[in-house]
Amino acid sequence: MHNASCVLYGPGSIQFEDREIPQLCDEHDIIVRIAYVGVCGSDVHFWKHGGIRTMVDPQKGIIMGHEACGIVHSKGKAVKSVELGDHVAIEPGIPCRRCKNCKDGQYNLCKAVKFAAAPPDSHGTLTKFFRIPEDFVYRIPPDIPLEEIVIVEPLSVAVHAVRLVDIRPGETVVVMGSGTIGLLCGAVAKAFGASQIILVDIIDRKLEFAEQFLPCQTFKPLSNASPEENAAALNKAFGIDDGVDVVIEASGAATSIQTGIHVLKSGGKYVQTGLGKPNVEVPILTLSEKELLVRGCFRYGSGDFELAASMLVKRQLDFKSLISSISTFEHVVDAWEKTARGEGVKNLIKVQD
Amino acid sequence: MAAENPAFVLRKVKDVAIEQRGVPKLRSDHDVLVHVAQTGICGSDVHYWQRGRIGDFILNSPIILGHESSGTVAEVGPAVKNLKVGDRVTIEPGVPCRRCDYCRQGAYNLCADTVFAATPPWDGTLQKFYPVASDYCYKLPDQMDFEEGAMVEPTAVAVQICKVADLRANQTVLVFGAGPIGVLCQAVAKVYGAKKVVGVDISQSRLEFAKSYGADEIFLPPRLEGDPVEASEKIAAMIKEKCGLGDGADVVLECTGAEPCIQAGVFAARKGGTYVQAGMGKENIVFPITTACIRALTIKGSIRYTTGCYPSAVDLIASGKIDVKRLITNRFRFEEAEQAFELVKASKEGVFKVMIAGVE
Repeated sequence: MHNASCVLYGPGSIQFEDREIPQLCDEHDIIVRIAYVGVCGSDVHFWKHGGIRTMVDPQKGIIMGHEACGIVHSKGKAVKSVELGDHVAIEPGIPCRRCKNCKDGQYNLCKAVKFAAAPPDSHGTLTKFFRIPEDFVYRIPPDIPLEEIVIVEPLSVAVHAVRLVDIRPGETVVVMGSGTIGLLCGAVAKAFGASQIILVDIIDRKLEFAEQFLPCQTFKPLSNASPEENAAALNKAFGIDDGVDVVIEASGAATSIQTGIHVLKSGGKYVQTGLGKPNVEVPILTLSEKELLVRGCFRYGSGDFELAASMLVKRQLDFKSLISSISTFEHVVDAWEKTARGEGVKNLIKVQD
Repeated sequence: MAAENPAFVLRKVKDVAIEQRGVPKLRSDHDVLVHVAQTGICGSDVHYWQRGRIGDFILNSPIILGHESSGTVAEVGPAVKNLKVGDRVTIEPGVPCRRCDYCRQGAYNLCADTVFAATPPWDGTLQKFYPVASDYCYKLPDQMDFEEGAMVEPTAVAVQICKVADLRANQTVLVFGAGPIGVLCQAVAKVYGAKKVVGVDISQSRLEFAKSYGADEIFLPPRLEGDPVEASEKIAAMIKEKCGLGDGADVVLECTGAEPCIQAGVFAARKGGTYVQAGMGKENIVFPITTACIRALTIKGSIRYTTGCYPSAVDLIASGKIDVKRLITNRFRFEEAEQAFELVKASKEGVFKVMIAGVE
């Protein structure tokens, strides 16, 4: 096959197909030879349920994958920031550039965005060749191992969250959830000058990893305590008086959201990065009385990939240690199943050399 | 058929003429072609005509002038969804690249690759037909005519200035300049809930107009002898006292670019206040920087417009909150374009906004 692609047709149903090799559509386009693709919780959800809001069309199928990196294969006339053969990170959502959200600097909110692996027909990156415009591709120097470049995408989610909640030097930050996103949020919080970072999770192994990966402290809430009690216990354990300055919620779990609201100081800031149930109970009275600033967080916007790429290039952390396994393209399901079982931190698929 | 497209061309400095040009082609599937109906003249058009440059924008080859226009959609590209032939529109004359960091951040007014009508090297709207991206064209509600449509551009400039100033309700706003931009800023500030709007100008007749428009109070600075900066400081004190601004205005909008006004504006802002530079005059001036520092002023520049300014401007006019018709004092046919420019250049009293009709 010239352009072998991993196509999902429904829950548990994939086919490898030779899809049309993309061509350059205009002078700003780049064709990337995909090298590695990372697995995200959303990929697992697609594998198990056939989609999130919009289900995969069983006639058309959808090429999976959106966390990707690769090598520049060809480029349009106007492309200046990369050369053929350059290693690049891919920002996988192309906005329309014409609507209010796009022109107002919030292109992540563009309603017409073409996001990789979004049904019905915005195909993903588990393919050999992928077309993307120049401003959605970020050159990484060749001394960084290709597989690590996949980390730039989830790291951009973390950058976006930290910028939204506006972490300032000297602040205390609690990150709820010690998965890939939580860990990376901790890393970015550190880069933004947080003086204290506390990662929270219910799984010991994840907290142990956090302590190795980050300069952070960890906290494990008690399953038989209320969110309010756990929040109080956390503040007490770390000698924090009024509460913490910032909470980044990176799990989506209801009790975690509630604990996050309770652990904040008056006037504190909260950002919802984790995705879980669409409706949860929230301690709204506490939120009001403490006059908290609460923000939603969706994907990434202008400047986020740039900052994430520079953090990778500066080797600010041992990002390689996040990569727990690499499956071959043919064994993509192994990568999804590992992630589904909660094995490892970030599982990768190697698409081609 | 070499369809006719008469155009008012600035061939070189101080040399304008009407020429026959080809009808412009649509530049992309998202473009529309507008049959231009009315065009207002701006100081920048006159400046390119007389001086041939503004900052780094230098006239190196002929350009068609004009950028404040309205008209009727004559042709639509295949990808256009928001407009159809026959729609009456106002044109936002600067289309950015949509790909650079400024564009992606929402500051498209700062895009270096903006195609801006009548900024060298780009042709402007004083031609029969003008091509423009469809998302930079806004439908005119039925109750707005083409002259009002052509006034949307300077109104959008005023909206942007107020946006940069982060105007909030119940602030005191001091505006230097009672020309079109100055009075539009005064009017927009008033609509946006300013507690008090003060207009300053050296022309008594313009001040009187401002008082009937958006200004609550007006001030005519006296001519003072002695050190110019000290004079500006004295004028600022007079403004504060006479217009009841206390420690100073919450917001100063500087719409003249004149050095004494800039200085007075800094002196007349309250501690912690905001000063916005919108007017363009001398490129370098003597600025009371220590005052700005000690009084912790926020000083910003404002240029053109950003997302939402055009729709807001259309709404302000269509809803009757701002009456732009009152600003139009002279009207010319397309063939008389050069006369129109000469009139603006002469800066006579009684001449405010000059309109040039499009080619039929």
